[in-house]
Amino acid sequence: MKSGFRVFLAALIALGGSWCGFVLGPVLQLGGEKQTTILNSSDLYPVGRPGMANQGLQVYCANGCAACHTEQVQQSGVMCDVVLTSAGKNPALVAQACAEAGMKTQYRTWPPPKLPITVSEGLDSAAASVAVAEITAAGGKAEIHIAATGPDITRGWGLRRSVAEDFLYDNPVQLGSLRIGPDLADVGTRLPDANWQLRHLYAPQSVVKDSAMPPFRYLFRVQKMGSEPSPDALNLPKGFAPPPGYEVVSTARAQELVAYLLSLHANVPLYDAPFTQAVAVSKP
Amino acid sequence: MSDELKSNGPAKSDGEPTASRSTAPMWIIVLTLMLMFLGMVYFDHHSGWFNSQVYGPYASAEELESYQPKTGEAAMLAHGKARYDQVCGLCHGLNGEGKPGQAPPLAGSEWVNTKGFERVAHIPLEGLSGQLTVKGQTWSLSMPAMGAAMSDEDLAEVLTYIRNSWGNKGSAVTAADIKALRAKLGAHPQPLSEQQLKALPE
Repeated sequence: MKSGFRVFLAALIALGGSWCGFVLGPVLQLGGEKQTTILNSSDLYPVGRPGMANQGLQVYCANGCAACHTEQVQQSGVMCDVVLTSAGKNPALVAQACAEAGMKTQYRTWPPPKLPITVSEGLDSAAASVAVAEITAAGGKAEIHIAATGPDITRGWGLRRSVAEDFLYDNPVQLGSLRIGPDLADVGTRLPDANWQLRHLYAPQSVVKDSAMPPFRYLFRVQKMGSEPSPDALNLPKGFAPPPGYEVVSTARAQELVAYLLSLHANVPLYDAPFTQAVAVSKP
Repeated sequence: MSDELKSNGPAKSDGEPTASRSTAPMWIIVLTLMLMFLGMVYFDHHSGWFNSQVYGPYASAEELESYQPKTGEAAMLAHGKARYDQVCGLCHGLNGEGKPGQAPPLAGSEWVNTKGFERVAHIPLEGLSGQLTVKGQTWSLSMPAMGAAMSDEDLAEVLTYIRNSWGNKGSAVTAADIKALRAKLGAHPQPLSEQQLKALPE
């Protein structure tokens, strides 16, 4: 071959270039990811999953859960709400500042008996800072309440987007790409009942009527009941329960999988994905 | 094409067919450079320059920083607590109770519960040496200038936290206050004695 070396060089550049893009680049960007702290706190995040949940991740992989479920909350934007916490000594001036900041509700008594109240919603950070500065200059006190927005957040699938730290101790990471079922990044917060999770795995339609999820009965054992039902027997509704005299007991694999599901959370604010933790705000 | 080959065929009948070289047309080079330029502009606007902390709706590290919840006293105190636990809490105790033989208490201390912030702010910036009486008890210890290496914001938050926790009552300290005080102290502050500290304005 006359131009063998040239072919070799071209192949090297093509393969090497894609290796740099797909492997080296991400490693340089996120390979040094470390444990961080929760926003405005000294608590570390993430803490490793408990051992059982770690084994549950392997069960999650083995059953191909990621084929129908994602573990990544997406966020399309962020919005700032200005919250009035104190009207100070000159409520009339503060009312004026609030009106300028976009407060639409007319309160019969000013200051309202129940503070804090939301003054304006959906601002960007610069506009919110200006509003807070105006209220502060008028003698009141206001805070900026930051919230993530987007379809996933609206569905209640998490309070913020998923970031790399969430998966720091997972191997392999089960991001998923297809959403036949709901996103599971925050399922441990949303559905924290282990018994519900077990029932749902054994017979999804027994708890979610129109669920498209197939039952995972092989993670359970149907056995003859002793003189008394086992303490960890599933409490199933009619139509899903085994014949009388029998009971459904979860295997270790089912328990590990549930421990993993319950360890999934996307509800703490981080520097990369900030939000203000819910404070009691009386809505007008 | 096939006509060309046919017409060229007989003329080169004795040699192997060869591929001729031709230079890349100028417009491809210009187009490539333009696309590369546009790509860089796109990254400039959308990616935060591959910063590992910049995600999704945020386009740059500055934008992300501007969305950190930091207004309000609650956030300031929470920041201050985090710094206090790391830096001050080792000796003064996580609840400001002090540690015998190590550091006097901050909770209820007459040096902390002053009208203004200035006297207490001198302590972390300059350090202490010699005897100091706190809540009727004499401590003979020295304190290094623990706050000298902290940023203005951090030190202001820590002082605000100390002055508003464990039953202490005091006004909030801002980063601008600390900056002004630092400028007054100069480059090489010396540890203070109790008399010097008392002579300072509250």
